[in-house]
Amino acid sequence: MTALYACSNLLQHYNGRPVLSVDALSIQPGSITGVAGPNGSGKSTLMRILAFLEMPRQGRIVFDGVPVAGREARGGTEPAVLRKQATLLTQEPYLLRRTVADNVAYGLRVRGVARTETRVALALEEVGLVPAEFMSRQWYELSGGEAQRVALAARIVLEPRVLLLDEPTSSLDEESAERIRAAALHMREKHGCTLVIVSHDREWLSSVADSMITMRAGHMLP
Amino acid sequence: MKKLIALLLFMTLVFPVAAMAEKPVLMMATTTSTDNTGLLDVLKPAFESDTGIDLRWTAVGTGKALAMGKNCDVDVLLVHAPASEKKFVEEGYGTDRTQLMYNDFVIVGPVADPAKVKGMSVSDALKTIAGSATPFCSRGDNSGTHKKELSLWKASGMPVPEKDAWYIQTGQGMLPTINMASEKNAYTMTDRGTFIKYAASHNGNPPMVVLVEGDGVLFNQYSAMAVNTKNCPQAKYDLAMKFIDWMAAPGTQKLIGDFKLMGKQLFTPNAGK
Amino acid sequence: MGFIFEGFSTALQLLLDGHPETWSAVAATVCVSSLSICVTVLLGAPLGFLLGYCRFPGRRAMRLCVDTLLSFPTVVIGLMVYGFISRSGPLGGFGLLFTLQGIALGQVLLGMPIVIAMVANAVENADDRLQMTLLTLGASGRQQLHATLWEVRYHLMLASVAAYGRIVSEVGISMMVGGNIKWHTRTITTAIALETGKGEFAMGVALGLVLLLIAFGVNIAVSGLKRRAAR
Repeated sequence: MTALYACSNLLQHYNGRPVLSVDALSIQPGSITGVAGPNGSGKSTLMRILAFLEMPRQGRIVFDGVPVAGREARGGTEPAVLRKQATLLTQEPYLLRRTVADNVAYGLRVRGVARTETRVALALEEVGLVPAEFMSRQWYELSGGEAQRVALAARIVLEPRVLLLDEPTSSLDEESAERIRAAALHMREKHGCTLVIVSHDREWLSSVADSMITMRAGHMLP
Repeated sequence: MKKLIALLLFMTLVFPVAAMAEKPVLMMATTTSTDNTGLLDVLKPAFESDTGIDLRWTAVGTGKALAMGKNCDVDVLLVHAPASEKKFVEEGYGTDRTQLMYNDFVIVGPVADPAKVKGMSVSDALKTIAGSATPFCSRGDNSGTHKKELSLWKASGMPVPEKDAWYIQTGQGMLPTINMASEKNAYTMTDRGTFIKYAASHNGNPPMVVLVEGDGVLFNQYSAMAVNTKNCPQAKYDLAMKFIDWMAAPGTQKLIGDFKLMGKQLFTPNAGK
Repeated sequence: MGFIFEGFSTALQLLLDGHPETWSAVAATVCVSSLSICVTVLLGAPLGFLLGYCRFPGRRAMRLCVDTLLSFPTVVIGLMVYGFISRSGPLGGFGLLFTLQGIALGQVLLGMPIVIAMVANAVENADDRLQMTLLTLGASGRQQLHATLWEVRYHLMLASVAAYGRIVSEVGISMMVGGNIKWHTRTITTAIALETGKGEFAMGVALGLVLLLIAFGVNIAVSGLKRRAAR
């Protein structure tokens, strides 16, 4: 089976300061990859690179058999096209200043999907929010846990090939955290979605992940 | 929302175009005095009904009016600065200069007449004012009126007292200048039309009065000129000539003579004289 | 002093008696300022987004330029536009001089720096996570522009109101480009300048009040929208 992501010699600098240096990383389609490590170890940078939100300064990435970063990738696939396949949820998500329904439907609309209501309702149910109650709520009428679940719903509604979760549960109440975990795992079962999860909850992570990565000071530990 | 914006855009783009009559439009640059007195408001409808031409004018200073003619932005000029007009024609920017009417300037001052110039000739009055260093307000804005005032100093054999402390250059319109002269107890030169309005606004008891008038050098000749089609091929020469001929016609000349401001005649027609 | 109070009653009289000259100036003002503000916002908002969002060399210099242009004297804008659209100027063939569209051209130049500067500022100060969120949800460049402008809609509205205020009250451009032609390009502000020059001070004050009434109406409409936007 070919890897979904095959990365080699990734190097990322911010203002000349090296933040990430990964020799080799491969992620199988439909797998769950757990990423652990202390703060500032380069986890979030890696996640943004995997989400195609930033390009590494050096190195090679092959996504689904197509080189997307590195010399042979020049003039190849647009990042905007790649981003439609992988989507990232961060610890503190940003909700658009619109209703919950519009937030969840946004990704579908930019993909040109006309009728979104049913899919939005299903996605909300998936994260444990009653559609009838939440659809028409405004972005500021949500608790932290509800906001995070809306943000997740906005991503799973897209049925992405890759769902990247960067500490999605760390500042949440137990019920919301449980809902988010369950919804993420369900995405893999139902759609074969590839998951990459950063979490401090090592115990849970190692229990669900097919493989684990540990980061320290920008490097992957063997 | 988008529809609303589109509708607004459409309306605002189309409305002015639609509002334009199919009548031919003659564009004129003129001086503020003809517009402010209301003379053009009387002449416009008469001209339109006689010739079917829609006369539009922009009232600006003489300098700007001539510049607009030079830049081909208007078709005809109605101004009152004979020396500049002659130069304008000589330089090839204007043609068919036709004198139409005149009004006159007056020298006004405080009722008390501190320099005692009442009834003098212009030249004597200015010499007396300069000799006693009594304040004098000048427009100082290069307008036709200002140019006239400068020519009076020269005609009196004096340099323009540009730098003297008593010579106040206001840089403003005629009415603000008269007001300023009144506040400063100073003299000034004004066209009669503006002064009639000024006096009327003080209920017949103005703090400034006419002291010098009737001197030949105070007459203010208005002429019309067509913009030269050699310089401006798009200028509507035929319409301009219709206007000039109409202005000089006896009927219009009578209309000009009959025009009254606050019950007083302002312009004396003199076409063909 | 008296003419100020007289102005109030004159203003009422002008509007209620249907004084045709005044209503013509009101129509010209509403017409030209609506056209100007629409074009200003339609062009200025995307440019403001680009200036606030894109990182390119010379961006700081460009922001400085835009901020400086906020102080552009209207008479000079009027002169520049006149130079271009005069029949002897490069755009003379379009016949824009002495038209409301010509005035609008100048007013767009006047309003644009306000909208660009304020939108750029709002986009710059928007949450960093906004752009990342839009991108990861799959927005293209143009969709990013639309969504960002919608996110900063409150600021965009403030910018429009500020620009409208400057546009509707300017006199330099209208006078120079429009020529203050009665029944055609005489706006309220050029009429005020004219009446003041004629010494009709009360009339000037009255027209000023009429202008304020228009601005009041526009602001009421906008504050309604503002409330809806905040909800």
